[in-house]
Amino acid sequence: MIDLAAVYNKLSRASGVVGQLPGRFYRSIFRGSYPATVRQQLATVVNNLVLHVHPTRVYARSIKPQTTLGLGLICFYLFIIEWITGIFLMFYYEPSTGAAYGRILDLNYAISFGRVMRNLHRWAAEAMVVAVALHMCRVFYTGAYKPPREFNWVLGVMLLVFTLALSFTGYLLPWDQLSFWAVTVGTNIVSYAPVLGPRLRFILLGGDTVGSDALLRFYTLHVIAIPTIAALMINYHIWRVIKDGGLAHPAENRGPEGEAAGQPQRSDSVATTFPQVVYIELLLFLVLTAGMLAASLLFNAPLEEVANPLTPSNPSKAPWYFLGLQELVGYSAFWGGVGAPTILMIYLFLLPYIDRRPVGIGVWFARERMVMITVWSLILVGIVVTTALGVYFRGPNWNFYWPWENWPGPH
Amino acid sequence: MEKWLGVSGVVLILVLGWTVWDASQEEWEHYQQIYYREAVRLAQKRAQMEWATHLRTEIRQLQLNGQTIVERCVTCHLGYDNPAFQDFVAPLRTHSAILKSHSEERFGCVVCHGGEGRAVSTLEAHGQGEITAKPMLKGKYMQAACYNCHGLKTLPPQATASVVHGRQLVNQYLCLGCHKIDGEGGEEGPDLSTVGSHRTWLWIYAHTARPQGVVSGSTMPVFSLGRDEIQDITIYLMTLLDGRDRVRYLPLLAKRVVREPPADPPSASRRRDDPESRAVASQIAYHYDGKKLFQGAGCSLCHTIDIRGGEVGPALTYIGRKRNAENLERLLKNPEDILPGGKMPQLYLNDLQIKELARYLSMRQ
Repeated sequence: MIDLAAVYNKLSRASGVVGQLPGRFYRSIFRGSYPATVRQQLATVVNNLVLHVHPTRVYARSIKPQTTLGLGLICFYLFIIEWITGIFLMFYYEPSTGAAYGRILDLNYAISFGRVMRNLHRWAAEAMVVAVALHMCRVFYTGAYKPPREFNWVLGVMLLVFTLALSFTGYLLPWDQLSFWAVTVGTNIVSYAPVLGPRLRFILLGGDTVGSDALLRFYTLHVIAIPTIAALMINYHIWRVIKDGGLAHPAENRGPEGEAAGQPQRSDSVATTFPQVVYIELLLFLVLTAGMLAASLLFNAPLEEVANPLTPSNPSKAPWYFLGLQELVGYSAFWGGVGAPTILMIYLFLLPYIDRRPVGIGVWFARERMVMITVWSLILVGIVVTTALGVYFRGPNWNFYWPWENWPGPH
Repeated sequence: MEKWLGVSGVVLILVLGWTVWDASQEEWEHYQQIYYREAVRLAQKRAQMEWATHLRTEIRQLQLNGQTIVERCVTCHLGYDNPAFQDFVAPLRTHSAILKSHSEERFGCVVCHGGEGRAVSTLEAHGQGEITAKPMLKGKYMQAACYNCHGLKTLPPQATASVVHGRQLVNQYLCLGCHKIDGEGGEEGPDLSTVGSHRTWLWIYAHTARPQGVVSGSTMPVFSLGRDEIQDITIYLMTLLDGRDRVRYLPLLAKRVVREPPADPPSASRRRDDPESRAVASQIAYHYDGKKLFQGAGCSLCHTIDIRGGEVGPALTYIGRKRNAENLERLLKNPEDILPGGKMPQLYLNDLQIKELARYLSMRQ
């Protein structure tokens, strides 16, 4: 006879052990129960690897949407999306001129989720260029680059350069007509630099023309060199935010001496990082991911015929974020290729060291900063106008056409 | 806050579900399922049955030239080597007997038919998708492909009649007065020596019919050519390839593949007017988007709808007011029937595509 009672006891004990597993597992990762008291919530931020990059408490105004528009976080998330989709694409991609285009076609046609992953990688990259530029404008217009945050601004400018470099190196990889001629034009712009220009272009391409060496070089830069440096620098950039005293605060939120306080004072209106800030960050991630994924399902990333070095596309256009420069090259090779970008870079790097007046910090469009704001806005308008000219108004032989006009010649 | 987290979490899950749904909507799986079911039904011997029931739903491909050329046409065109499917409709129908001398394992499909071998959906594979690809060579246009490998000498005259006629027309209309072909001819127009590699046959057809309708501001005169003349000139021009296209398939000739005969395929044949086969034909019907077809099949090269499109043929923005679906179907099937002496080309679309395209156009009112 089987002792049913004993079996039942054994089973229930075993199921008890199994039933406790999820709880034990959870507590082995997150020690203690869900933080309910403020004290526990502060401890959570300090004890958590991911969360401890935050201060334990922030000013209540820091988490209002209009303070930062969440742009820095969007840049970060887009970088994460690029990283994940990029690894997926690397499983299939082969950086050789004979195979690359076929692999891209396979991603588009035959590989499960290949098309949506490629679209996501492409659209997130373009969105990242826009988001980084907007983030920079936000920091400028709220005067957030002023002391003590000068160096974080410099890091930000470098991250802008890395974003453009990542985008540009990735542009070549599909090895279609679009990418081949865009990179040919883009690297030609580089060669207009005096003395070093042609040599720089040679180093970049591993030759005088865009060929298999250029593809390998761009691939290596795109998938390992630049992402690694950019990832490290993003960490540094975010870490510096706390070390420089959190977000830029308006004057009334500063300490008694006028300098920024690292952590909000007891008297300020504050929010705890856990759960308030974490919730907002999570929300933004969910919304952004869903939005980018939906866009990638609806719109296909451009792809043209396989690269053919013998038949240039006319017009050959650089990637859109360099079309402002290409437009300038149309007037003057020196100013478009060297003058304008050099002056712009010097301006960006030196800005926080020149404009040190502690006014308008943490305030949008402060009246006291009208001159600086006007200069910046004029530069911005110039960049947008030249870029729009290059994207929408230039046809064969770089002639002017209205967007609704038909281009002459084969199309 | 938790509420918004919940809502956006649900939205993300829905979008992820959409992603999975989108990836699972595969046209080729639809055809494969019908093919396997029919193969089992037609199996007459035990061995055949065993063969048919072990078929897996999967992408099938031919790898040629040391695997550098990948062609997935056989993912949908499953019955190509199975004589039992002689009387089925495409894509399941058996290939014509020419396959015996042109083994697909040696030559693949694209060398003769054109199109995009890597794609596995009809529009994209047939060169009618979003990504630029060459529309397939169909009907008479396949003469260009025959000629590209064989030249004139080894083929019977009727197999290259259009190429020969096209070349005569090029001489007759003094095209070389302005254009250069292989170093001979004038400087006025573009060199045509490699036009077959750089243009699709549809583009060449449209441009020959009315140059200004495709290239605004073109100085090429409009010749009063008939449908057949334009077609034959196009076919001849499609034989003018650049070096890259010329050598692309040469390595295939060097490699001889010994082909294993298919394991005793079912031999029963089925008539197309047989009710069961007709039922299968209606199941094969796959929904084509008429609008996408209009773009993809090349219609917009010559015809304008709303503000986009070429100006070779009439604008079709309100074509539904003039022609009904039935009339459009007849026109697309055989242009000569409705527009005798006109320039509208024979597009060689299949019945399903013609039906969807006609339906889309008839609704333009």
